[in-house]
Amino acid sequence: MSTKQITVENLTFRYPGSDDPVLQNTNVHIDTDEFTAIVGGNGSGKTTLCKTFNGLVPHFFNGTFEGSVRVDGTETTDSDVSALSRTVGYVFQDFENQLVQPVVRDDVAFAPKNHGLADYETRAQQALETVGLGDAADRFIWELSGGQQHLVALAGVLAMDPEFIIVDEPAAQLDPHNARETYEQLQEIQRETDVGVIVIEHHTEFIADYCDRLVMVADGDVAWTEPVDVGLNHVDELLAEDIHPPQVTQIARELPDDRGRLPNGRYPVTVDQAARCFRTVADGQRRRATPDGRGSGDRLISVSDVTHGYPTLREGRKTVLESFDLELYADDRVALVGANGAGKSTLLRLLTGLESPDDGTVTVLGQDTNETLPEELADETVYIHQNPEEMFVEETVREDIAYYLKSREVPDTDQRVDDVISFLDLEDIADRDGRLLSLGQQRRASLAIGLATDPSIVLLDEPTGSLDLQSRREVTRMLSRSDSRTETVVIATHDLQLVAAWADRVIVLGPNGILADEPAQAVFEQPELLQQANLRPPQVVGLSERLGVESPALTVSELVDQLTAAEVR
Amino acid sequence: MGYLDALRNITIADIKVDLMRTAYDNDNALLNKFDPRVVIIWAAIFVIVPWFFYEPEPLFAMLVAALLLAYLSQTSIYLLALLIWGSLTNIGFIVVLSSVVYWWQGGSGGLRGAVVDNSVALLPFTLKLTVISVVSLAAFSAMSPKKLAKGLLSLGVPRPFTFAIAYGYRMMPVLLEEYHDLVNSLRLRNKAPENRGLLRWRYFLYLLKLSIKAFYPMAFNVAKRSRVTVEAMETKGFSHSLGDEASRALRLGDLEIQPRDVSFVTVSLLFVVVVAVYL
Repeated sequence: MSTKQITVENLTFRYPGSDDPVLQNTNVHIDTDEFTAIVGGNGSGKTTLCKTFNGLVPHFFNGTFEGSVRVDGTETTDSDVSALSRTVGYVFQDFENQLVQPVVRDDVAFAPKNHGLADYETRAQQALETVGLGDAADRFIWELSGGQQHLVALAGVLAMDPEFIIVDEPAAQLDPHNARETYEQLQEIQRETDVGVIVIEHHTEFIADYCDRLVMVADGDVAWTEPVDVGLNHVDELLAEDIHPPQVTQIARELPDDRGRLPNGRYPVTVDQAARCFRTVADGQRRRATPDGRGSGDRLISVSDVTHGYPTLREGRKTVLESFDLELYADDRVALVGANGAGKSTLLRLLTGLESPDDGTVTVLGQDTNETLPEELADETVYIHQNPEEMFVEETVREDIAYYLKSREVPDTDQRVDDVISFLDLEDIADRDGRLLSLGQQRRASLAIGLATDPSIVLLDEPTGSLDLQSRREVTRMLSRSDSRTETVVIATHDLQLVAAWADRVIVLGPNGILADEPAQAVFEQPELLQQANLRPPQVVGLSERLGVESPALTVSELVDQLTAAEVR
Repeated sequence: MGYLDALRNITIADIKVDLMRTAYDNDNALLNKFDPRVVIIWAAIFVIVPWFFYEPEPLFAMLVAALLLAYLSQTSIYLLALLIWGSLTNIGFIVVLSSVVYWWQGGSGGLRGAVVDNSVALLPFTLKLTVISVVSLAAFSAMSPKKLAKGLLSLGVPRPFTFAIAYGYRMMPVLLEEYHDLVNSLRLRNKAPENRGLLRWRYFLYLLKLSIKAFYPMAFNVAKRSRVTVEAMETKGFSHSLGDEASRALRLGDLEIQPRDVSFVTVSLLFVVVVAVYL
């Protein structure tokens, strides 16, 4: 099959009302026979660039448009969005809002029907089968998980039989497991059907594993286009845009005497490459897993014999937790991990008292949640929603932070609010409407709302959500700040890098209750356990395993130390 | 705090599921089996018919039939209850007001007599209102969004409007979820009144205030989501389809009036005739 091209020449684009162009004199060339990743810092113009490919820029977003964008020979300015979308499919970052029909099949058939294609039913069915959702065709969109919804959006694009598919930050809204499945799906589509796949992505580990070519956008221009192996080696340029190279690349760079380099002089970018490149560590430095915190402090929370579920439309009541027991102690740093639907969020909501268990009892700081209002439990407990948007009810971030304190008539409210704002560096967004901030900013602001309550129990639901690196830093800072008063922190998360670096007690939830309740180190020593829970260890853990380190290193610096030491001996 | 639990756990979740069932689970609903155009026209006729009857008996028979239809169409019990409660209180208020005025003006028979007289006088009116509400509720909640949109489209309603129906159905669960989350988020940051008062009225008033306060953020969040939706609609060729004959033909292709549609309308009309003649 002959390849098709997208060619951008000397493109300059300025949004109406803005003085600075988003894109300036940009040139880039993308082929259908490659899996292309576009990276760039926030506001670098990468999304705008991709929106020129299907004509949203300049047909939908009018602005000053100079230069040329050609898709398969067609000048985009001579066509329109719906015609171009037949060639270039776009999966948006918040893909849920791209789904406009209630039933899966109708949504996938929506575009073909709009274009009057008589075979819309076959197209929809085929597209759904390609993404592995053939048997979900008659389900309602809202019954599907986030990962499945993303695939429906992808199928909706595939149904038009495009030459190119653009996927905007798949890993930002999906949990790591689903993100990986999406990538596998995309890779297969690209290989099997010669459709050019373009992703916008921050997570270099996905790029290294799945993509062929890397396009770096910086300051409204394409800085360079390189094969992925080469591109990810431009470590300093990536870091300058706040893009973190894969853990293995970071390790390789830290090793003394260029020992981390591959024969061709480059640093490895995948675990595979690194495992071949680094020398195997003869073990003998097995560290003992540190004992967990259980029993060291007072018992703060106890969940005993709890059965809880929710009503569903067609299948009666669905039980999420069954005869569930758990005790949490003071000074625990608990990570709650497990596949979607294992009950992590349900458990946290039970601890807030927003829901009371169908059966059994939940006791928080000596209060039975059945007997206590959530408002009373909130005196000592704070819960931060996984979707930070739901935390904003006032018109400015400052008012939102003050809300709790004001309703409780705390004397020095203003002082405390200012403290929190300056601690989390929120001065520049404090007087803006929280709902209009970017997701990353919203997350920081939601942490501030929690921190201001000065709680003794902190419950965080997916605080790093999309594994966004800045929010991981902020969460860690918030945790360190609240150490003085906080007695225990429970985090429900998919982010095993956070778990590895922070938690001392890891509770792995499976479909039938607790699979494991152990120190972090011990959990990472059991790859089959992680797999069972749909989790994927951080690269550093995978690599130490491959290198024969028996008790895996949990952070980059730990492994660098071990590798350096092994060499010395 | 047993009954409070019931209130905050079971009811909210269950009402949600019940509403969703009404909106989405129409596979077995009687009125969903017919051609949507027929159901729409049928509903239009039966919203008018009750106004030609003045005696309580035939109206009562119609109400029974309407309720039966609502039951067969799996209409939400909560919605029905809300609707009937609405008409009763509305009429009740008129009865009380008019009776008090009558009595105050020195009408004969005293207050009690006035209430009875006025209730009887207003009964047919109440029944008419209830019948047409139940009929339209049954018809429109039983049809799946796709059918409803198709029916309206073929009757000449513009496509942006019929699309809005399907989109509304798509968004309703999102709205409900959003709203529930926001109310919860507010509860965790507020302080419930310490003195709850007789029958906890202060506490319920406080919950009511929160539920009102959650509306604006919900509308805001949902409106924000639609920004992407509009872009996505463009890429899915929505504006292209507005003027496209082939697309319209595909959309209406499989509409066909079948014998069962005809018999449904015939049976309904016969029922009215029987009621008119014998009651």
